[in-house]
Amino acid sequence: MRTFEYLKPTSLKEALELLERYGEKAKLVAGGTDVMVLWKKRAISPEYLISLRNVPELNFVAYDGGLKIGAATPLRTIELSPEIREHFPVITDAVSNLGSVQVRNSGTMGGNICNAAPSADSAPPMLVLGAKVAISGPDGERSVPITEFFRGPSKTVVGPREIVTHFSVPRPQPNTGAAYWKHTRRKAMDLPILGVACLISFQDDMKTCSAASIALGVAAPTPMRAYKAEAFLAGKIIDEATLDEAGAIAASEGSPRTTIRGSAWYRTEMIRVLVKRTGMMCRDRAKGAAGR
Amino acid sequence: MSLGVVRSQAIGTSIERRGTRARLRGDTHFAADLNIAGVVTAVVLRSDRPHALIREFDPAAAKSTPGYLGVFTWRDIPGRNRFGIINKDQELLVERKVRCVGDPVALVVAETEEAAQRALSKIRVVYEDLPAVFDPEEALTDAAPRIHEKGNLLGRRVVRRGSPEEALKHSDVVVERTYTTSFVEHAYLEPDAGLAYIDHNDILVVHASTQNPHYDQKDVADLLGLPEDRVRIIQEATGGGFGSKLDLNVQGFVGLAAFLVQRPVRMVYSREEAFLATAKRHPLKIRYKSGANRDGRLTAVDVTIIGDTGAYASYGLAVTSRAAVHATGPYEVPNVSVEAIFAYTNNPMAGAMRGFGVPQMAFAHESQMDLLAAELGLSPLEIRRRNALRIGSQTATGQYLTASVGIGATLDAVASRWEEARVEKQSTRAFVRRGVGIASMIYGIGNTGMQNPSTAQVELGRDGFVTLYSGAADIGQGSSTVLVQIAAEALGLKPDAIRSVIADTAHTTSAGATSASRQTYISGNAVLDAATKLHNVILTEAAMMLKADRGDLELRDGSVFLRSDPGKGVSFKDIAERASRTGLPLKWQGYFDPDTTPLDPETGQGRPYATYAFATHVAEVEVDSLSGEVRVLKVTAAHDVGRAINPLNVQGQIYSGVAMGLGLALMEEFHPGVTESLKDYHIATAADMPAVIPIIVEDPEPTGPFGAKGVGEPALIPTAPAIANAVADALSARVYNLPMNLERVLKAGISVRSAEKEKSCQGY
Repeated sequence: MRTFEYLKPTSLKEALELLERYGEKAKLVAGGTDVMVLWKKRAISPEYLISLRNVPELNFVAYDGGLKIGAATPLRTIELSPEIREHFPVITDAVSNLGSVQVRNSGTMGGNICNAAPSADSAPPMLVLGAKVAISGPDGERSVPITEFFRGPSKTVVGPREIVTHFSVPRPQPNTGAAYWKHTRRKAMDLPILGVACLISFQDDMKTCSAASIALGVAAPTPMRAYKAEAFLAGKIIDEATLDEAGAIAASEGSPRTTIRGSAWYRTEMIRVLVKRTGMMCRDRAKGAAGR
Repeated sequence: MSLGVVRSQAIGTSIERRGTRARLRGDTHFAADLNIAGVVTAVVLRSDRPHALIREFDPAAAKSTPGYLGVFTWRDIPGRNRFGIINKDQELLVERKVRCVGDPVALVVAETEEAAQRALSKIRVVYEDLPAVFDPEEALTDAAPRIHEKGNLLGRRVVRRGSPEEALKHSDVVVERTYTTSFVEHAYLEPDAGLAYIDHNDILVVHASTQNPHYDQKDVADLLGLPEDRVRIIQEATGGGFGSKLDLNVQGFVGLAAFLVQRPVRMVYSREEAFLATAKRHPLKIRYKSGANRDGRLTAVDVTIIGDTGAYASYGLAVTSRAAVHATGPYEVPNVSVEAIFAYTNNPMAGAMRGFGVPQMAFAHESQMDLLAAELGLSPLEIRRRNALRIGSQTATGQYLTASVGIGATLDAVASRWEEARVEKQSTRAFVRRGVGIASMIYGIGNTGMQNPSTAQVELGRDGFVTLYSGAADIGQGSSTVLVQIAAEALGLKPDAIRSVIADTAHTTSAGATSASRQTYISGNAVLDAATKLHNVILTEAAMMLKADRGDLELRDGSVFLRSDPGKGVSFKDIAERASRTGLPLKWQGYFDPDTTPLDPETGQGRPYATYAFATHVAEVEVDSLSGEVRVLKVTAAHDVGRAINPLNVQGQIYSGVAMGLGLALMEEFHPGVTESLKDYHIATAADMPAVIPIIVEDPEPTGPFGAKGVGEPALIPTAPAIANAVADALSARVYNLPMNLERVLKAGISVRSAEKEKSCQGY
């Protein structure tokens, strides 16, 4: 049997020490929904698996206007958080349709982000929310904007002796709505063909866009922002025609590939369609939030 | 039935399926759960080339692996290294060349799976790649690489009747289109598994997940050069098969390994191996030309079918014939020309899969019916009614239908939902379009134009209990329950009073394959035959013991009573005890072979099946014209099953047929080497399922057991065409290729959307 030693640190300090001690021979694991798949496919064969399940510093949701989510917080906990559902429904959109309930009970947001797949559902919401990634290492803690976090498919800025501890989401501007759309071949248990997150802040007229942010999953080697489309929307009245145009601009920013999950032309077409849809959802949600 | 039986009411009753509770509790043993002392593991080294000669094979490095027991090649096969259900064109371990990715090159046996895999990884194979061909039409050209010695043509089936060319020339409308379908994976819940050992009587015992134990027995015996009675196949609880477990998958490997290493050997396919190494549904290319007159009646069809059977035949010839015979659908067509040609390619093997080519053909003929209806200004329901087969109709093969032709009844059964749905189909959002589609089917029960008998035994034991012996593999569809219900009805017993011994070649005789929707009709009749014989013996004995007239006796709950004096009777136990003293046999054999004739090789005329099932589905869909997404909202499914022995089981088949049909329609496409597992190969989930309204139509089949026919495959067949017709209705544009995936639906809808935009129809 191929084996590994399963280590269960109970504090961040201990986890960092273990990582320091075993270095290359060790692999961090939280829910195991990605790591164990790789292990079974023999893509990785670590001697030590360092579990982050029992590290309390990594498992929490804290809301105080802004939001902090521990990296080892199960996706299901995030999905069921009433504060997140009310104030950051774009996150709920993403995590509530990721895998199955069983997968979400096990998988974590840190795992989803650090695996750095172009299809990671939680990445586009974090990108539009302007999240920061907190990373701890032997030299202390650092904070990286998520826009600078991904370095390529399965590649991030996290060093071999570092652990992502949590994600910080700033308090959104007033009159803001955000939404994520996961486009799939079937209605459940699927990876996205394309993921689109959109966030729009409105001026007090609730019509004019003061700032917008658009993020795309599976449109490029890493989750990405569509900066040109965002710039186009700033100062515009948000309506179907404007969003149509923003969708077309965003589509020109993506560089999707043809894979078994979807053709490049189809993905490009869907960026156009879904930027508009998520944009309209932002408007509805901003109005809903303002009405409360 | 003129048996002197008080109806036990075992028929038409939704009794619990045998084995349900054990399955729900997790107590059921599947082949992969079996574990006996000293068991070792076998794994197969498979080709990663589609077409190549084996130049070198060097297992030396594997031998030092701890736990290594052996690496075996074709040279180690003691018997005939050829198998296959119809054509013996498969090698258990290839001899000279591989013909597809996944072809078995060597069998590795070791103490553990881990050791076996490690040993396998050390084997060195040097291949010399050969040109490969992946398109069946290309495969039939002279320039194509030759895959088998006999050439790349698997077979051809022609059905000809009347003067189709002439009739098409004079038809008021003619529609011609070309349809294609994809490779489809069965995706049964339980990947293939088996365990083999040599027992104390020196018999090779193979426990396996299988649909066809008696065929397995023969091919395993031949592979090993053993007489058949030295091989025993025991079917374990089987988690679905859908046709793929008709092939010899693990049985030959575990049998060979146990024979060679003289240890118990197990083998369990991973999902990836089940995807790689087992049969798929045949992709068909169907050119279909139909003619009709202004009165709405079909005049002729001219159909060419090209099939890709991949590297091996498996059930390919059966699919060739069945596709050709079913090309006209459930309609009267006076002039017919059908030619089906199936070729070998270097694709994975295609074989039996729920419907044997008929789901593909139904997609074509039902699309054609809607296209003709549009040309003629008829509603899709009406054109089907005008052409539906009825009593006295002749089929495309010239067979007169004399009874149980329920196609009209299934159309009637869905008519009200069809009309309502067409009125209701308004959508709330401009870009979401609603559509309603209807599709019908005919399905011949049993094998095509050949003998396919079943046998069974029913025994009254000395303890007074009745035992049913049947070789029919219950693969989850519920045949064991239905067969017991038939025996119970014939003997005046409650079904739970009957014991059963199922699908063990040491204790049961052949019931033929669990395929072609044949077990209820054919094995049901064999069971009924056996039970009737036993019933008669019981009556005779009871008449003697009670000194009564046979006509005055009735069987009820394990006793025989006098009708004229219900207080007086004799129990089965007393009868059995007396019979055992007098030496009277109480185990009786039943037999049934449906009344068929072979098809004429030139014209395809004949009587391919003794009876047919009919069905009509209505599908209601919502199509997102901007993304190509199709949501199936409701499927109303009417099935003429002759008689529903177990209505809940029939409904279960219909639900599962809709689920599988939805996958075939919208998302299932197997790409060799790419769709490796359920991660990339999409089957419908519960979230994709529509509301399903099953409607059971009973137009009894006089030759069926208590009137029953079959439903296993019919449940699937009309689903994809009904969805296709609904999508076409929604978009006013048709998709001619299955699956109707997002890209295809979007493309079909793009023209319509441009037109809508003109009308400033906005939406998101």
